[in-house]
Amino acid sequence: MPGELPPAGATWPERRRRALADPAMRAAVAKSTRSLAVKKEAVFATYPAAEAMRKRAVIARRGSLARVDALLDELTRRVEARGGHVVRAAGPADVGRYVLDVARRRGVQRVVKSKSMATEEIALNEQLENAGLHVRETDLGEYIIQLAGERPAHILVPASHKTRQQVRALFDEEAAACAVDPPVGDATPELTAFARRQLRADFLAADMGISGGNFLVAETGTLVLITNEGNGRMTTSLPRVHIAVVGIDKIVATWADLADLLQQPALSGTGQRLSTYTTFITGPRREGELDGPEEFHLVLLDNGRHELLGTEFVDILACIRCGACLNVCPVFRTIGGQAYGTMYSGPIGVVLTPLLGGLERAPELPKSACALCYACADACPMEIDLPRHILALRRTEVERGMEPWSDRLTFELWGRFWANPAGFRFTGRIARLGQRVYVRDGRLKGAPGLVGGWTATRNAPPLARESFHEWWARRRASRTGS
Amino acid sequence: MVRAQLFVTCMVDLFRPRAGVAAVQVLERRGVEVEFPGGQSCCGQFAYNAGHHREAAAMGRQLVRAFEPSDAASPSADPPTVIALSGSCAAMIKHEMPDLLERDALQRGRTPATAARWRRRAEALADRVVELSEWLDRQAVPGPEGVGTRAESGGPASSGGPGYAGASGSSTPLKVASHTGCHMRRLLGATEAPLSVLRRAGVEPVELDDAEQCCGFGGSFGLLEPDISAAMADAKLANLATARGDGVTCLVSADLGCLMQLGGRLDRQGDAFPMLHLAEAVDLADRHRLTPADIERTARSQEADPDAR
Repeated sequence: MPGELPPAGATWPERRRRALADPAMRAAVAKSTRSLAVKKEAVFATYPAAEAMRKRAVIARRGSLARVDALLDELTRRVEARGGHVVRAAGPADVGRYVLDVARRRGVQRVVKSKSMATEEIALNEQLENAGLHVRETDLGEYIIQLAGERPAHILVPASHKTRQQVRALFDEEAAACAVDPPVGDATPELTAFARRQLRADFLAADMGISGGNFLVAETGTLVLITNEGNGRMTTSLPRVHIAVVGIDKIVATWADLADLLQQPALSGTGQRLSTYTTFITGPRREGELDGPEEFHLVLLDNGRHELLGTEFVDILACIRCGACLNVCPVFRTIGGQAYGTMYSGPIGVVLTPLLGGLERAPELPKSACALCYACADACPMEIDLPRHILALRRTEVERGMEPWSDRLTFELWGRFWANPAGFRFTGRIARLGQRVYVRDGRLKGAPGLVGGWTATRNAPPLARESFHEWWARRRASRTGS
Repeated sequence: MVRAQLFVTCMVDLFRPRAGVAAVQVLERRGVEVEFPGGQSCCGQFAYNAGHHREAAAMGRQLVRAFEPSDAASPSADPPTVIALSGSCAAMIKHEMPDLLERDALQRGRTPATAARWRRRAEALADRVVELSEWLDRQAVPGPEGVGTRAESGGPASSGGPGYAGASGSSTPLKVASHTGCHMRRLLGATEAPLSVLRRAGVEPVELDDAEQCCGFGGSFGLLEPDISAAMADAKLANLATARGDGVTCLVSADLGCLMQLGGRLDRQGDAFPMLHLAEAVDLADRHRLTPADIERTARSQEADPDAR
């Protein structure tokens, strides 16, 4: 079944305009992505075991994807044997319904969440809030953008587009609304101190914790959670009920496979050897244990993933959401994450958004949010061939006739003329005559049709008076003539 | 004499034939018998990257035909190397064309045998294609013709003949900014070749900060998204401004697309800075004319024949 993603909100031209008109955001994004990319390079350069481990991790991931269904069955049996509940969800509505059922049955009113792209994908917060639940994001970045009423602008560092001053303003507003003391300054420790104080109260009052998951280990039915803030542990251990919403692609067969994978999100995402907190969760609290939730539910989210198995796009399911492709992408650095209109921004988002939500959901992303520079292909630790997928999506758009008829006509004529030598030379001569209309001060400052996009922001030299073809012919004639 | 076929690319042919002329002279000085197959037009990458694979394949087939050795040529001889004046176009031929031509033939209802034949013909071309700076870099070993011997022997005076003749007699080499296009960098993996070619031309190549970031040209992307593309160019130009402050005299690239993007954006901003195709820079060096004045003059003229202006 195809998946469903929340709508983009504003149109692409509007999102693009807003992004380009926001120099503070663009500077913050350029700075943070550059710094993360540099850290990634550094950790691989100074940690000799990393590269071999990464290669084994790729094999482990592909191997698991090749037998997803069998592994999910095994995982389900293991989790249930430990007293957990497992449910398969086709899409957003299934998850919302299930979570609300549990909430109603257990009298839940307050929910805390740790960072989860899967729940962003299905707009779970909105579904729960519409049903009257209070939902609090507890990852610092997610907390910030929740207060700002935005979507994460980066897979890994959701609020990296915000300056400290902007964060302080949001916290001041929140302090006023809650009638508590505002942060004492806009230094990072002062801002985090405010967030910690606020969130501590939320953790203690919560009836339900909702998390995502970085991996699922089939052989023991274990949920693996990697965080840098410790909020994941509180979310999954303090409230009475823990629900994990995890994409079916996160499955790995064995702990041996996990051993190679566990460090990958940190290595490529933040340039750490390992994230600060690694949490393994196998079922709810057992007899005699002191902490942990009374109930553990694992929601396995499909939302268009299963359909990708066996297609040319299957490797996209190997993504570990490290954000390395975003950090090196020149388009992402230029427009930031919000402009993509989807929680999956950057190169992975350009591919994943149309694959999960349908090409009609984001037809602009493959052609407009990628310069085909191949930086993402080099950066991806899971060796996902993102440029090839982007090329395939562009081809699909052309085949489905999703571009303006004038563009299609341009390419058809172009292909026809340039596929033979006489046609090529002919178009050169015609263009040389035609360009006169647009040449000013010896430069091309305008052009018709598609090429007008060039002259919108750049000049070009006019076509040369004599092409190389013509020069060569003249040279040869003069040589044989003499 | 070594034979080589020159693939100038559609952009050099139409917008900067002078780079093609420079390449011919550079190659002939190195004892190469240069051939220019007249059937060549475009590698089809622009259409391919825009999703128009049928049109790209039509151009690709024509390119394959144009460079195939004719039966009349001595069948026993190895087909000549194809020297391309663009890392991006070379990458298109080497990385995409075999798949593209095979897939397109099948889509047009040709038999699998015909499709496989197109793949083999494209692969044969791909094997022969070398980007210019990579080719020049491979000629580095001192040979009987004295090619590439300058760096060690030091100074232009030592070499009047073919080869890297050096820039000027001054002891501190001229600084030039070197920009390597994304496809050259990542698909051909040719990050060192242009730098070492420039070094042996007697200049000091300087890579810009964030060198690995795209200039924003991006084929159809640059036309569909003029504002994002220009913002990317501006980031690159900001780094170029730093290098200009450090005294680089021009920007050199083996890809005309990047040069047109950066030069066209700079020109729109009313700023001017010389930008040279790598073939032009090496040609100037060969003629002991890689000097600020000659760089300026060369960058200003696009014409194959400078007297045409």
